[in-house]
Amino acid sequence: MGRNMNRVSIVYAALCGFAGLLTAAASAQEVKQETKSASGHAAVSPVTQEQLNTADKNATNFLLTNGNYAQTRFHPAKQINRDNVKKLHVAWIFQTDVKESLETSPIVVDGVMYVTTSFSHVYALDAKTGVQLWHYNHKMGPITTYCCGPNNRGVQILGDLVYVATLDSKLVALNAKTGDVVWKTDIADPEAGYSETMAPTVIKDKVLIGTNGGEYGVRGFVKAYDAKTGKLLWTFNTVPENSVGVWATKDATGRDMHRNIQAEKDQLAKTGDPYQKLGGGVWQNPAVDLATNRIYFVVGNPSPDLDGSIRPGDNLYTDSLVSLDLDTGKYACHFQYIAHDVWDLDAVSPPVLVDVKGKDGKTIPGVIHAGKTGHVYVHDRKDCSLIRFSEAMVPQENMWVLPTKEGARMLPGANGGVEWSPIATDPAQSLAYAINLHQPMNYFVENSPYPNGKLWLGGAFKAIPTEAQAGNITAVDYNTGKIKWQVKTPEPMIGGILATAGGLVFTGEGNGKFAAYNSSDGKELWNFRAGAGVNAPPSSYMVGGKQYIVVGAGGNTQVDFHRGNNIIAFSLD
Amino acid sequence: MIGKSKGTFVVAVGLGFGLSLCRSFPAGAQSSEDKAQVCTGCHGQEGKPIDKTIPVIWGQQAGYLYIQLRDFKRNDRKSEVMQPIVASMERQDMMDIAEYFAKKPWPDLGQPRASKDVSDRALSANHSIGCTGCHLDHFQGDGTVPRLAGQSREYLEKTTADFRTRARGNNPGMSDLMIATSPDDLAALSEYLSGL
Repeated sequence: MGRNMNRVSIVYAALCGFAGLLTAAASAQEVKQETKSASGHAAVSPVTQEQLNTADKNATNFLLTNGNYAQTRFHPAKQINRDNVKKLHVAWIFQTDVKESLETSPIVVDGVMYVTTSFSHVYALDAKTGVQLWHYNHKMGPITTYCCGPNNRGVQILGDLVYVATLDSKLVALNAKTGDVVWKTDIADPEAGYSETMAPTVIKDKVLIGTNGGEYGVRGFVKAYDAKTGKLLWTFNTVPENSVGVWATKDATGRDMHRNIQAEKDQLAKTGDPYQKLGGGVWQNPAVDLATNRIYFVVGNPSPDLDGSIRPGDNLYTDSLVSLDLDTGKYACHFQYIAHDVWDLDAVSPPVLVDVKGKDGKTIPGVIHAGKTGHVYVHDRKDCSLIRFSEAMVPQENMWVLPTKEGARMLPGANGGVEWSPIATDPAQSLAYAINLHQPMNYFVENSPYPNGKLWLGGAFKAIPTEAQAGNITAVDYNTGKIKWQVKTPEPMIGGILATAGGLVFTGEGNGKFAAYNSSDGKELWNFRAGAGVNAPPSSYMVGGKQYIVVGAGGNTQVDFHRGNNIIAFSLD
Repeated sequence: MIGKSKGTFVVAVGLGFGLSLCRSFPAGAQSSEDKAQVCTGCHGQEGKPIDKTIPVIWGQQAGYLYIQLRDFKRNDRKSEVMQPIVASMERQDMMDIAEYFAKKPWPDLGQPRASKDVSDRALSANHSIGCTGCHLDHFQGDGTVPRLAGQSREYLEKTTADFRTRARGNNPGMSDLMIATSPDDLAALSEYLSGL
């Protein structure tokens, strides 16, 4: 934990004292290790499974990280619309104690907001005023091993428990009213390269969580825990013991990936299946199909990122869409976008369940994912098969040139395209809204053996200083694959986007700009300067009959955008 | 007891860096302070190392210090001085020592700020390779990632060069990144970071 954290802890201890705060905890030892300020009490009713199931129709709350189990990030509130959004103004600003990368999706339940910050802090706020109700300051273990910033993307609530996964790879259940720890369990060993930055998905008394670690030679997974007790229910290893696959030579779009299959087969004969250290992190939430009881998530890159010589085969299920049975964690189907990836152009942005037009033009249940490649991929939900892919949203050059010792230039750069940033959708317009990075990079390869949980890149991706970077907001018609509109931005985009029934999309930029756009044509209708990078997904909710839009402005570690510590809520007069 | 330990483990200064300089880790040391005494001979009684190629460990991230001790013991990181010292350390000893030094204040080595030209070059290199992606804003480090701000320039130059040749072999990811960065850029980074 950084020095800043220690100072924060001391301040809270001094201001608030401990004795009155540490009540009704499951474990006295756990409570002693935490500090928590409680200027109030979060008066929330328990969140029912039925409420979560129908979150997509709930204009009052924002109950899941991506809005609902289908992860559409389409909020049904429409008080703020294309005509009046120009009058949007700051309702309140809450300053967290942590000035570091902010990727939280605010969750709102009946006027109480839950946000997280870097280093796994959780805050409960009054969603109408921004007043702090409680603060959970996780006592971080000394060993953390993580990529791309000490981020946390949020919580989920079921019943009266708030679930958060921490940087030192623990799953923690907090009392939603008080912030007290109810239970805590180890997910994986941080010394072996595991960490947590994603928000859990809680469904039918199960807490689903993936893992980071694709840059550290972990074996990735999705795990399900009992929501009441924290007991492990099932584990799905994202890399199966037979990870070889079908020796695919082309990517999902049909382009040759220049694999040397014979060399890989020779390596396989020599060193065997590399499944145990093959990476395959899961960075973002699964979507849940309530009708079929199946979950859909994407799996990240193989380890080491750029050196494929020591990991022969397709490296299943890295860089893939995967579907499982929710109850058992058993495999249902997968689709691999890039077999044997050596560019870290993996699958990170959370998949979304929407009805789509199949190849024969008939509407079927679909699942869509926006890739680092810059394509939106459209799949048949039944068997994960690819129906179509969109036009490229970013420049693509020299794909798929292999990384070299001297460095080989290829676009997109290793961050994408679309990074972890969730997309939004507007099913009535059959549009998917994605934010993209454009970062020209050289790809370098180096060879080194597995380093016991250390950074294991197998080379480097290096931004080319003489080439300009940029970004864009793109609306894609997922029934045709055509780009409907695109707004260029001066810097790469990372964070997330929200669509509303008011005909709007909201998203922010690394330079501090937060703006609303007409969701049909991309015309900018309003903007605000937050003073720090707006690199978090916005949420929408209502309190007292008034609609609010809320977003974190804390900058970003990965792309090094200006840091801040603000949660900013906006409303109309 | 502590006083006695101090007397036992004070190390002669100014004799160079032979194995003879640093004593072995004391069997039976109980307190973190006892355990940490063996380090002060080289890393300094008040946090200022006795030689510029020796890193500052006062105020360094605990996770990082622990991992380095662990790696010296595993021979993943090689040092004729460090390996005999850590040979008899158990995991808890390493954790205790790491926590002990992490709580100390970072010493001011009095290194000058880099010039604007050097700073610009360093920041451009950071932009390309993404040092702050792990070492975080202001290069303060966290967990198993070390603070770089205010570290000894000579140590930074030596260890980045050792990463580059893989003479320092306990973080191949860092080696890959250093190999992809030119020596001139690394020199600018060392100068810039030391002056923060």
